[in-house]
Amino acid sequence: MIRLVPNQATQITRSEKVTFTFDGTPVTGHAGESLVAALMRAGYLALRNAPNDAAPRGAFCGMGLCQECTVMIDGQVVEACRTGITPGLTVERV
Amino acid sequence: MADHYDIAVVGAGPAGGNAALAAAQAGLRVALLDEQPTPGGQVWRDKSASILSAPVTPESRAGAALRKAIETSAVTPLSQIRVWDIRLRDDHWVLQAQRAATSQEITSKSLILATGAREYVQPFPGWTTPGVIGLAGATALFKQSLTLPGKRTVVSGTGPLVFYVASEIRRLGGEVAAVVTPNTRSQWARALPDMLGQPKLLARGALWVADLMLARVPILWGHAVAQVDGAEQVTALKVRNLRTGTDGPDIAADSLCIGHGLIPNIEAAQILGVAVRHDPSLGGWVPDAAPDGATAIKGLYLCGDGCGIRGATAAGLQGSLTGARAARDLGRDAPTSPLARWHKADRFGRAMTALSLPTPALEALTTRDTIICRCESLRCTDIIDEVATGAASTNAVKSGRRAGMGPCGGKYCQSAIATLIAAQTGKSLADVPPPTPRPPLRPVPLGQAAGAFEYDALPISKPAPL
Amino acid sequence: MTHTPTYDIAIIGGGIMGCATALRVAEGGMSAIVLDKDDLGQGASGVNAGTLSLQIKRVKLMPYALRGHHLWEQMGDAVGFAKTGGYTLAFNAREAEMLQERQTLKAQAGAPIEFVSNNALRAAEPHLTQKVEAASFCPEDGYANSSLTGQYYRGRLRDAGIAYREGCKVTDIGHSAGFLLTTTTGQIRASRVLLAAGAWLKPLAALLDVDLPVNARVNTVSVTERIPTLMGSVIGHATGLLTMKQKANGTVLIGGGWQGLGTPQDGRGTVNADAVKPNLALAQYAVPALAKARVTRSWTGFEANVPDFYPLAGALPGVPDAYVLGCVRGGYTIGPYIGQLMGDFILGRDPELPLFDPGRDFTKDTT
Repeated sequence: MIRLVPNQATQITRSEKVTFTFDGTPVTGHAGESLVAALMRAGYLALRNAPNDAAPRGAFCGMGLCQECTVMIDGQVVEACRTGITPGLTVERV
Repeated sequence: MADHYDIAVVGAGPAGGNAALAAAQAGLRVALLDEQPTPGGQVWRDKSASILSAPVTPESRAGAALRKAIETSAVTPLSQIRVWDIRLRDDHWVLQAQRAATSQEITSKSLILATGAREYVQPFPGWTTPGVIGLAGATALFKQSLTLPGKRTVVSGTGPLVFYVASEIRRLGGEVAAVVTPNTRSQWARALPDMLGQPKLLARGALWVADLMLARVPILWGHAVAQVDGAEQVTALKVRNLRTGTDGPDIAADSLCIGHGLIPNIEAAQILGVAVRHDPSLGGWVPDAAPDGATAIKGLYLCGDGCGIRGATAAGLQGSLTGARAARDLGRDAPTSPLARWHKADRFGRAMTALSLPTPALEALTTRDTIICRCESLRCTDIIDEVATGAASTNAVKSGRRAGMGPCGGKYCQSAIATLIAAQTGKSLADVPPPTPRPPLRPVPLGQAAGAFEYDALPISKPAPL
Repeated sequence: MTHTPTYDIAIIGGGIMGCATALRVAEGGMSAIVLDKDDLGQGASGVNAGTLSLQIKRVKLMPYALRGHHLWEQMGDAVGFAKTGGYTLAFNAREAEMLQERQTLKAQAGAPIEFVSNNALRAAEPHLTQKVEAASFCPEDGYANSSLTGQYYRGRLRDAGIAYREGCKVTDIGHSAGFLLTTTTGQIRASRVLLAAGAWLKPLAALLDVDLPVNARVNTVSVTERIPTLMGSVIGHATGLLTMKQKANGTVLIGGGWQGLGTPQDGRGTVNADAVKPNLALAQYAVPALAKARVTRSWTGFEANVPDFYPLAGALPGVPDAYVLGCVRGGYTIGPYIGQLMGDFILGRDPELPLFDPGRDFTKDTT
């Protein structure tokens, strides 16, 4: 079929795979990519529970504003969309 | 010791980047601050370190050109830095910034704010479900990570961004289940005259639509996503014909990218005392700034989408104008450019923004049970009840219900709340200004805001009278 | 000719004091209207740290503060009241001496303040720093949620059938056989006026050609996002430069009177990072684990005062049937009570405790 917008997925090369943990479970991603991207690819969309109604929430704005994708790294709340993954990174739910 | 510059530019997108370049060309010492690792802003966001190679796109090309220009200029890029407060101290601007685990002060004689935009999403049932992301959020994911939001995605929203996002999903090998846009074909036809000034952008948009049609991706004009189903993540969604009010069959999907236009990030300008006015054709509340960025406050300039949504082309042009103006005001020689190109880009930008505006039909998607304030899980009924008991301003609703007191600071609920207040009280949106903006501009860890300190050196004043 | 609404009293300023007075005079049979240039309870009444602490009240105002505490407790959940008890900390010998001297006088004035051992302190508040030199405790201390002030009084006024106007700025006060107020939402007639406009009292009194020596402090408050429990009581500092409490929702509110920028005439005032930083540093020094909590918001409120830092509460000098109420140090705590006293005074009754003559010589301490 003619595509005016070609599929370029195979033309992308990525860095080596690294393993980090999310809530104790090993997850693989590419070194240096955003935590949100790696978690999304691994099927982790619900990253936290909202206050008051405990409903699941995940990445939303993708630019560090909405605070929906916050996770805990080394006791500090950070935005997963603004955090790059490194080997052995320990990520927990808030 | 603080780092001192002639000009500090906050935001390294097309506007801020070009402003910094113009000011540096005039011989000034310029710092260009941005939260991202490299310049580019949202529209020209750079690939992360995980991408070793990837096909070139118009956005990546433009971003690379800006980054190269900055690299080879005298501009000092300060990346991965988060400005959380700005203040005029004596005759210079003081920026409180957070970089990794450290904090620093940056000072400058003049200040250019190029704070860009954020997305508006009209709240509707299920919009807080994981797997629902903003159209702009999706573009960040594509540009930075070349990653898809899911395996089968519905793309929905107003304006041109919806077609760009659908096209990018296809380019990255994903499946677009449907494109759902509240805009009608006749709305686009009416916008055509204003778009003719930007033929390249027009041609690109036409190509996206043609590709989707060839691939038989359903494009539902005049429709909106009315509900998202799924407990832990998106499983399906309902689509509504906005003209007839009838719902179509459920569409199975694992993700939804959705957006209804952009909103200028005006908080920094507001905190610094720039007056704001309501201009729907520029995305809502915008600060008063001239085409060359000048404001009523000496040494403070605004450019780009942060002072009205006009798009990347206008932002870049306004950035150059602003950098030159700021340089002239500091006594340097810098060219004064004719405004004709900017006016053309302004016209195009306003036409696109007009297409993106939420309409009453779209606003009707917000049901009484819909979450409005995501941070505090406040529903539409909570807001309506507060207004019913007499709260008639965004400040009053915020105080009474904590709407906008969560970590996002109201960035993703205030417009919807203002709309609800206006509807209920009969006021016009122009009479429902945003709540008083408060620093920090982003959440900042307390220890980093406090900075390193010795207890004995804290400025403990004498106690209050006994 | 259009009809001008007429009331027994027009109260200018819809904060705690204006609203509390309105409720009292209405109980006494007067028709009242409350006017606010913004929304009700959005000035100092609605943006202060909400601390209800006898340990930071002035000695001479202690009887008023004790009664104020009682009223807040009665208001209860509607204002987010919580009686948690409060600790005031000293981190060095100089502060310990100051704490001893000041809290002893406050205890003598009727506040149930006691000094506590390090062990008792640590058992109650395990996240506090180890560097506490001395501490006092008052079981009466706690807090309310100042954000709810507007919502609360809007409801109270409505329930009492008292008129109020928001977004109504008084631009002129004519005075002959009663008062004729010109406002941004039309004219209003009243037999009496009460000026209760907090930090805006000076320009307001000037409309009646009275010069009140009112100054404004620009107090700063900051709040963190929700965090796991780090403290159960109100935490203060011997100098008063820190007040801190963790709300039921997990957010930590940090105040202490650090000064922002701006004046009431300019608008709302702005946060000064140079003052916020030491305020947060002091909070972190007291509870080190706060270092990683993210601050989501800092704001300022204008606290009005006169040179002797005692209230203005009584007749406006030289203008019959005009009254003024404001400049109460600890005004959030005392406001509901002193509003009642003011209402009684306007009704011609004897107030339970004495008011504070706005015509006094402010250069002398009137104690």
